[in-house]
Amino acid sequence: MILVIAEQREGRLNRATLETIAAAQSTGIPVKTVVLGSDVAGVASGLASADVAEVVVVEDAALAEYTADGYVQALEALIGAEQPDLVFLPHTYQTRDFAPALAARLKRPLITDCVAVRGSAQPITYVRPIFQGKLQAEVVAEGPGPHFATFQIGAFRADAMKAGSAAAPVRSAKVSIDASKIRQKPEAPFKEAKQAVDLSQAERIVAVGRGIKGQEHLQLAQQLAQAMGAELAASRPICDAGWLPMDRQIGSSGQTVAPRLYVALGISGAIQHLVGMKGSRTIVAINKDSEAPIFEIADYGIVGDLFEVVPAIIAELNR
Amino acid sequence: MDRESLEVDVLIVGGGPAGMAAALRLAQLQKEKGGEPLAIAVLEKAREAGAHMLSGAVLDPSALRDLVPDFKEKGAPLATEVHRDAVYFLTRGRKFKFPITPPPFANHGNYVISLNRFVKWLGGLVEAEGIDIFTGFSATDILFEQQGKDAAVIGIRTGDRGIGRHGEKKSTFEPGVDIRAKVTILCDGVRGNVTKSLVRQLGLDDGRLPQTYAIGIKELWEVPKDRVAPGSVTHTLGYPLKMEEFGGGFIYAMPEGLLSIGFVSGLDYRDPMFDPHVVFQHFKRHPFVASLLEGGQMVRYGAKALPEGGWHTIPRLYSTGVLIAGDAGAFVNSIRLKGIHLAMRTGMLAAETAFDAIRAGDVSAAALKAYEDRINAGPVRRELYPVRNVHQSFGHGMLAGVGYSGLSLVTGGWWLRDPMPAHGGWERMETFAEYYSEGRPDPDAPANPVKIDRQLTFDRLTNVHYSGTRHAEDQPSHLVVHDTDICRTRCREEYGNPCTRFCPANVYEMVDAGDGTRKLQINASNCVHCKTCDIMDPYQIIDWMPPEGGGGPQYEGM
Amino acid sequence: MKVAVCVKQVVTREWQLRVNDAKTWIRDQDASFELNEPDAYALEEALRLKEKHGGEVIVCSAGPARAAQVIREALARGADRAVHVESDALVSADANAVADALAAAIRDEQVDLVLTGLQSDDQGFGQVGVVLAEKLGMPHATIIMDVQIDAQSLRVKRELEGGWFQWLALPLPAVLTIQSGINQLRYATLKGIMGAKKKEIKKIAAPASATGLQKITSVYVPTKGKRTEMIAGGPADAAKELVKRLREEARAL
Repeated sequence: MILVIAEQREGRLNRATLETIAAAQSTGIPVKTVVLGSDVAGVASGLASADVAEVVVVEDAALAEYTADGYVQALEALIGAEQPDLVFLPHTYQTRDFAPALAARLKRPLITDCVAVRGSAQPITYVRPIFQGKLQAEVVAEGPGPHFATFQIGAFRADAMKAGSAAAPVRSAKVSIDASKIRQKPEAPFKEAKQAVDLSQAERIVAVGRGIKGQEHLQLAQQLAQAMGAELAASRPICDAGWLPMDRQIGSSGQTVAPRLYVALGISGAIQHLVGMKGSRTIVAINKDSEAPIFEIADYGIVGDLFEVVPAIIAELNR
Repeated sequence: MDRESLEVDVLIVGGGPAGMAAALRLAQLQKEKGGEPLAIAVLEKAREAGAHMLSGAVLDPSALRDLVPDFKEKGAPLATEVHRDAVYFLTRGRKFKFPITPPPFANHGNYVISLNRFVKWLGGLVEAEGIDIFTGFSATDILFEQQGKDAAVIGIRTGDRGIGRHGEKKSTFEPGVDIRAKVTILCDGVRGNVTKSLVRQLGLDDGRLPQTYAIGIKELWEVPKDRVAPGSVTHTLGYPLKMEEFGGGFIYAMPEGLLSIGFVSGLDYRDPMFDPHVVFQHFKRHPFVASLLEGGQMVRYGAKALPEGGWHTIPRLYSTGVLIAGDAGAFVNSIRLKGIHLAMRTGMLAAETAFDAIRAGDVSAAALKAYEDRINAGPVRRELYPVRNVHQSFGHGMLAGVGYSGLSLVTGGWWLRDPMPAHGGWERMETFAEYYSEGRPDPDAPANPVKIDRQLTFDRLTNVHYSGTRHAEDQPSHLVVHDTDICRTRCREEYGNPCTRFCPANVYEMVDAGDGTRKLQINASNCVHCKTCDIMDPYQIIDWMPPEGGGGPQYEGM
Repeated sequence: MKVAVCVKQVVTREWQLRVNDAKTWIRDQDASFELNEPDAYALEEALRLKEKHGGEVIVCSAGPARAAQVIREALARGADRAVHVESDALVSADANAVADALAAAIRDEQVDLVLTGLQSDDQGFGQVGVVLAEKLGMPHATIIMDVQIDAQSLRVKRELEGGWFQWLALPLPAVLTIQSGINQLRYATLKGIMGAKKKEIKKIAAPASATGLQKITSVYVPTKGKRTEMIAGGPADAAKELVKRLREEARAL
């Protein structure tokens, strides 16, 4: 049985949970999911529509606010009770904070940031990026279970999750949590305008190159980015010219990204740029030059004038 | 913030074969002769020893034998002994082998090496002696006592670190360090910025011939292991160069299918549209060369200038408190195409001179002149003097050069006019009007285009990626072009911006200025520190200054 | 106060990655190495804390002999002494084995704080700091942007998704994983480099119990399974086809 640890904040489910359930379902092994928190009945019933054997709810006042110690305690007890073979989680800021501690507490392996999982019986093979996505590694867990794995956001699609033919049963599990053992004392989260954009967290990116011709045309790329729910980025010459800040630069002297979708507008595909985005799941290239090296690594290519093609794409997206 | 300062007895500027040999020799002398231990420091601008080292290379082990007699036991990384020598004359489609390998090209007893690995190894020996190699520190200014032609060199100031791209001091700003030394040995390589500055200030080249250079562009390839026998050394003349142009190709085979391949072009060509990088691509496409590289993979790229002028271009090598060794002093045998052993030898001689002078308490020019005496009395002069006019003879074309060189083997270099007259290479570049009387070529299009397939041939930008070059981005351009207006107007008109062609790293580009004209864009972070721009610019307005320490290429295996 | 900083030696970003013959790691014979950049920020933070509060910075690294390069660099920047857990097997080991090795280095040191980078540029597990905390029995917090120490209390600012942040307090001793870019990295000075030679580097063997719990069975260059689909037609048609493909085929929208 695979236990999927759901993630919620203030009663709202993180969609990455659905991706993780999809990943678990892809193995063919029976799946259960667990929600932790305080007053999370709504989240649990939402999850019940998934094709899972059961939705387990662990509620405790000590879990109202996320803390690493609280979650580790609760999950350690739950895993002891449920005895899953595998434990899957989405790879989020939060799971990065507690999952390694949980696995280490149980002296079990945790394979993080997986982009694929293969097999339906042991040894299950996990695929994860290494060297910032320039290479991939196939990994197997060793020793007794449960084995833990976190999945990269976007590696699986939330809409690939199978819905159940009927609502799954929701069960409350009681675990005993010793609040005095929770060493972290969190304060309320707050929002702040971030200093620099972290493009490596973006699911979709629209990047511009010299083909955009002028700073005034960035607006067009920005519109496409908006229509796609993407972040705007650029190749080096654009940032060198000051048209976009340096933290938007993709490439060997900028950031390395591997988003679900990368749209390269007017980018020729110099190797310095390619090494920064080759690992993207789907690459679209639009360029006037049919010989541009970018087409060699693109999944979809359009040879054409981006000033005509991009407005057409925006129109199509908005339909 | 206070400027750091350090005092040593001997400061060695540059951690290449000359600098490392000097340091090692000083350590040996220390042990031999005993006495008050000398404080010795080596400054190296690269992030680690050997990172900026690039050469063919075939090493004459004579200096190595003297410096480290047990070099084999100490694990000197000599890839292979030379087993086969061949020289070919190439035409566009064919090759003609010289029936006898001309004696200067006979490499029996020599080794094919990677200079990068060799210098790394030397650096290990130097550090084992307890000598500090300060990597990531560039030398920018000379510290003088008194001024004018009798100025005494009392040390070096290193470059500032932590300056932003607009010249502002960042929070991490560290001013350059003043390193005071009794003797400073300059081993800052071909067209070294410190030596260039010293020579200018003290007039050390008065009465000498102007220095001439060549650019060597090299790639490291992995080809099927049994294709070329390791230790096979090949040189070529002819295609793709014209008879009036100096240079040739080289192919050195190392074990495990590693091939060192490159092309040397004299930086004294007349054609303003000449492009050494394009010439190298044509060379690789020659059927003979292409057949060696077929199915292989280019793994590293780099370029560096070489001093070619020979004996008569060597400046005065000493002044109070300072000595010059290695490529910085132009110690290259341009007919044998070897300079590493001479760099090591002069480094050792400089060390011996410095040691004696410091022990005697006299580092005046008169005392340090002993360095030149040592050079004159030994193998350095014996080797370089007979070939003193060779490079200059090529100034009259390839036939003249080959003819004179052949002759010089017998005559010991004699000529009617000695020294054979010569000009600085940049002076020989002709304008469009002079060279292209039949019509102006398009400065933005290659004169001799070659197909770039990114398998066998590459564009500059792709090549630079394989040089491993990295610089801190947030710093001012280290390439100082004193008047960029000349670029847009006079130079474009007269020479068609040759910097966009002679730079092997795509540093210089003429981009659309937005008003119908073009302007110079300097992509400083691509720079591979070859010095060609400083050498070849026809207006001599480019000064290569070291970028923030640690930046530059990463020449693994080169 | 005593701060331990964990640093890792990794191949440089420019090193051409090629898979080794066994396909279990990269070829790193004669490679160029450097300090893992995220760890450099952790080191810088430790040095700043020492400047503010006094005390000592101990740099720890678990790796082969050549890892001494990054240890010396850390000492040159200002760390006071070092512990090197030397083992070739640690080169491509998992987070559990690495954390075991680092715990052996730190356990008897009575430190107040342990800092690590977020993750390594090679394996990128993002786990070692947290696993280390568990093994040392210390509380932890991750992705830290700001560290405030006051008497015996610790208050840190944690980064959350989407531009959210959170302060939290935890008791000392604790382990923190430091977010990259939170400070400007200082240069090693000449005096620092010279002084580094005299600083202690204690070498210890990796504990026999440092076991891996996962294994890499294969490393490869991710290849594009499909070839490039060139979408023909005028702008309107091509746009329509592209959006359709992205929605249905690639499922990227």
